[in-house]
Amino acid sequence: MTNDIMLLMPLIIVGLGGIIVMIASAYEKFTIEVAAQSTAAILAIAFLTQLSNSISGNVAVFSETFNSILVVSTFSKAAGLIILASGIFTVLSSVAYFKENRFCTSEYYCLVLFAVTGMLMLTMSHELITAFIALEIMSLAVYVLVGYNRDNVISTEAVLKYLVLGAFAGAFLVMGVAFIFGATTSTNFAVIGQYIAANGFMQTPLLIGGSFFVLVALLFKAAAFPFHAWVTDVYDGAPIPVTGFMATALKTAIFAVFANFLVVDDGMHAGWITYLFYISIFTMFVGNLIAIGQQSLKRMLAASGIVHTGYLLIALVAISSQDFSGSVIAFYLAAYAAATLGIFAALSYLSGADEKRKTFDDFKGLAKVRPYSAAAISIFLLSMAGIPPTAGFMGKFYIITSAISAGHVALAVLGIVSSIISMWYYLRLIISMYFHEAEESFSDILPSRLAPTCTFVLVFCVFAISLYPLIV
Amino acid sequence: MIHNYLFLSIILFCLGIVGVIARRNVFTVFMSIELMLNAGILALIAFARLHVHMDGHVLAMMVMAVAAAEAALALAVVILLHKHKSKLDTNVFSLLKG
Repeated sequence: MTNDIMLLMPLIIVGLGGIIVMIASAYEKFTIEVAAQSTAAILAIAFLTQLSNSISGNVAVFSETFNSILVVSTFSKAAGLIILASGIFTVLSSVAYFKENRFCTSEYYCLVLFAVTGMLMLTMSHELITAFIALEIMSLAVYVLVGYNRDNVISTEAVLKYLVLGAFAGAFLVMGVAFIFGATTSTNFAVIGQYIAANGFMQTPLLIGGSFFVLVALLFKAAAFPFHAWVTDVYDGAPIPVTGFMATALKTAIFAVFANFLVVDDGMHAGWITYLFYISIFTMFVGNLIAIGQQSLKRMLAASGIVHTGYLLIALVAISSQDFSGSVIAFYLAAYAAATLGIFAALSYLSGADEKRKTFDDFKGLAKVRPYSAAAISIFLLSMAGIPPTAGFMGKFYIITSAISAGHVALAVLGIVSSIISMWYYLRLIISMYFHEAEESFSDILPSRLAPTCTFVLVFCVFAISLYPLIV
Repeated sequence: MIHNYLFLSIILFCLGIVGVIARRNVFTVFMSIELMLNAGILALIAFARLHVHMDGHVLAMMVMAVAAAEAALALAVVILLHKHKSKLDTNVFSLLKG
């Protein structure tokens, strides 16, 4: 019983913390700086609590009271750690970002906490309606964060697009839940799994339709191939720290629930494996094509996020529901999160007032003026491209070996090809930082300590994560 | 008998999809999304009656609550859009080209 409370503790801390920060924001003494510090502290406490929990196997939290809707496993623990760490780094880089972009109020930070609450719940949910509610808690907070700069037309347009398409995906999820409920009279993953084991997946058309709708909604949120068009626009319109938050924490939460849903039973996974196979190929190559054509750095990173979704889909194709641990997915998500958060933390203090440095050309000659920041950005880009000895390389290595051992050699080869293509746009930024003369002096960058510290901590993380499998 | 409700729900869902894709007014688009959510709720209730199982009713209540929260946010966005452009036509909002 006490163990159950401890397992839920990170969720409780973050949820209550969000409410307290929201109420405290009404007081004038509670300034934005205090809000940022307390938010970072709340997330850090939740992170340490999550870290201290020891879990073996799947633990249904308060299975009597909650009817096994929340299940904690090592996979959900790892995903929760990634989400909480992303939250901390987002808050810290927001502090630097809002020194030059003055549209922050203390509610910004409580929205981050609410989004993290939804994400943590999503990683634990083993029931479709819980997943829907967690998804909406997360999405509603993220919609507001995307449109936080109310005076900016582009940001408003981004939130319109995201809200329409996100709610559209939400409606698909509800329809899918209804169909699956109609087929199995339950929305609990365990019961659905038992139903499929007893009656077969292909023999129940309602179940096929329902899981199709659920997969559409999840692919939509994860920005996979046919539903990827919104990503570049929304990431472009959102404030830089929020973009980093969406690219990492949101993706982690979605892939956690995606993997948990696919492994309810072998029948479910086998039924969709062919489609996921092609979707992952298309996601990688379409993402690469979009990224190559971009001039804006944020849009390039958004498009590269699509490519990384493709790699994660390879890992989903390769999982098996017999001994599912999700370690490959969690490792890749951690590696990707470290690099992406790092680059967005660096951008949040380098891009200047009103995000005026946007394109590749704007960062020409950065290496001569800010050599350490340029070196950090290069390490992050090399990690995303998958160059050893960074975390990105190890993540890709595990995904590709898991694909080969699951018998999908073609997928592994295409993953490597896509990774080579992706060098094109990652190296482009490194070239413009190192091999061009500086066109400006970058002298308007305000001195801040938090965001550069974050960046260098994340550089350390990139190497630490790659060494992690050797240590353990 | 129950099947008719399911057909109605699917028709409503398809109408919602068409509305989101084809209509240009932001309000109509958000109303179409609400229509899709309501189609889902109707299907849940119909299945609950079909299986004589109360879970579906509870799920429907939960979805309704979420739909209300989403509608509140959608209205806030509509006001924001109107402040910027004094128009609610989605064609006006095309600064971002993907």
